[in-house]
Amino acid sequence: MESKAVLVNAVPPYGYIIANEKWRGSVLEQGFKGNIKIIFEEQLGVVDFHLSDKSCILYVSESDIVAGSAYKRKIVRFRNANSNLQGIVVVEKTRLSEQYFPPLQKFVVLELGLNLLPVLSPAEASQLIIQLVHGESKENPFHRKSISRLLDPVVLSLVQQIPGVGKVKALALLQRYSSIHQLSQASISDLEPIVGQATAQHVWGFFHKPLV
Amino acid sequence: PSPGPSPLATGPVCVLVDSRCISSGPEVISAMRLRHGVTAQVCSLDGCDFIVSNRMAVERQTQAEVAAAQNRKRLLERMHSLQGLFERVCLILEADRTRPGEASRPFQRTRYYDSTLGGLVRAGIRLLASGGAEDTAALLAELARVEQRKGQAIGVPLEVKGHQQQALQFYLTLPCVSYVNALNMCHNFRSVAQLVDSSLSALQKGAHVSRSRAEEIYRCLRYSSDVSLMATR
Repeated sequence: MESKAVLVNAVPPYGYIIANEKWRGSVLEQGFKGNIKIIFEEQLGVVDFHLSDKSCILYVSESDIVAGSAYKRKIVRFRNANSNLQGIVVVEKTRLSEQYFPPLQKFVVLELGLNLLPVLSPAEASQLIIQLVHGESKENPFHRKSISRLLDPVVLSLVQQIPGVGKVKALALLQRYSSIHQLSQASISDLEPIVGQATAQHVWGFFHKPLV
Repeated sequence: PSPGPSPLATGPVCVLVDSRCISSGPEVISAMRLRHGVTAQVCSLDGCDFIVSNRMAVERQTQAEVAAAQNRKRLLERMHSLQGLFERVCLILEADRTRPGEASRPFQRTRYYDSTLGGLVRAGIRLLASGGAEDTAALLAELARVEQRKGQAIGVPLEVKGHQQQALQFYLTLPCVSYVNALNMCHNFRSVAQLVDSSLSALQKGAHVSRSRAEEIYRCLRYSSDVSLMATR
């Protein structure tokens, strides 16, 4: 049976990680001890660690990098196999592998659109992965909550961007024309009784003067 | 003669640089121009370090800045505001500068730093590691080139003159309008009135914004305001 590039059999519960069988007994596994629980799985395909149903880690070690470009095929297989998984490539950026790093970053982030996190050693990697696992059970502060803003103050500051229009005149204009769209269609003679002749010309000119 | 690639896909790329970078990273600006052939225009971007395409903003911070918990609030605010204005947001993490003669100290990762990186990644912010100003310049040029290949290059003149300056400030006051969107607006609409009166799709195309952002702009322009709801102080 040809093994698939990415196999998702189960979603690990919070605080757990599903690790590829090959990491049994590794420094990384040692690092996880006491912080997160590991479930080993033989058929993860190219993925090294599954964090939750949406993110997976591919691990590229110093020796993978120095050995040649075989790991690139692995990354591409991962990328092509699954687009709805968030792929995180953890790379050992050491004194030895440093020189290979810029083209690797360009390939992984700019060309494939995956995430890349460099680490100095397997010990650092396990600390990082522990934080990634813990973070999944918490609310992410970097997620932007869309708050619907009240538009009235925005409209007021838009009108105040018109040269010669301060707060008093802006309010007077909005009293008569409640939207920017309505205001932009008023003629000079419509505007004159509200803000006077000079400002009326400014307002009309602001909307109608050619820009290009 | 065989038709060459379209000039827009191969011409020099443009990067907008915030004026604060003149003091914080002049070497990045010079390296982009001299080594990478980038047209780098310095302007007041207010809340964003670099804009490399019609949809992408790039923020530059040192590892130490991101690692310091006291900067958290500022970093969060920065990222939220960029996510509100741009389809794509990148954060370049620059290695900390070492003074000449000083031994470079390896950066000590903390749990706080790692969890911050995790949060950024899960929020869809792209992280890029840079060894210093030279690396940062190369990354910016490369990002601008990748965006150019995807048809997102900044394609309008970078300078605004005369009446366009007033229009630019007005456009920047609209919700979801970044500096590059406002620049597109200045050059793609005959007058402010024409923009205000345009259809949703004309707005989307002329300002180079997504459908949902165009909807917000459109809604704001036609919003019937209530003077009594405006702060009177």
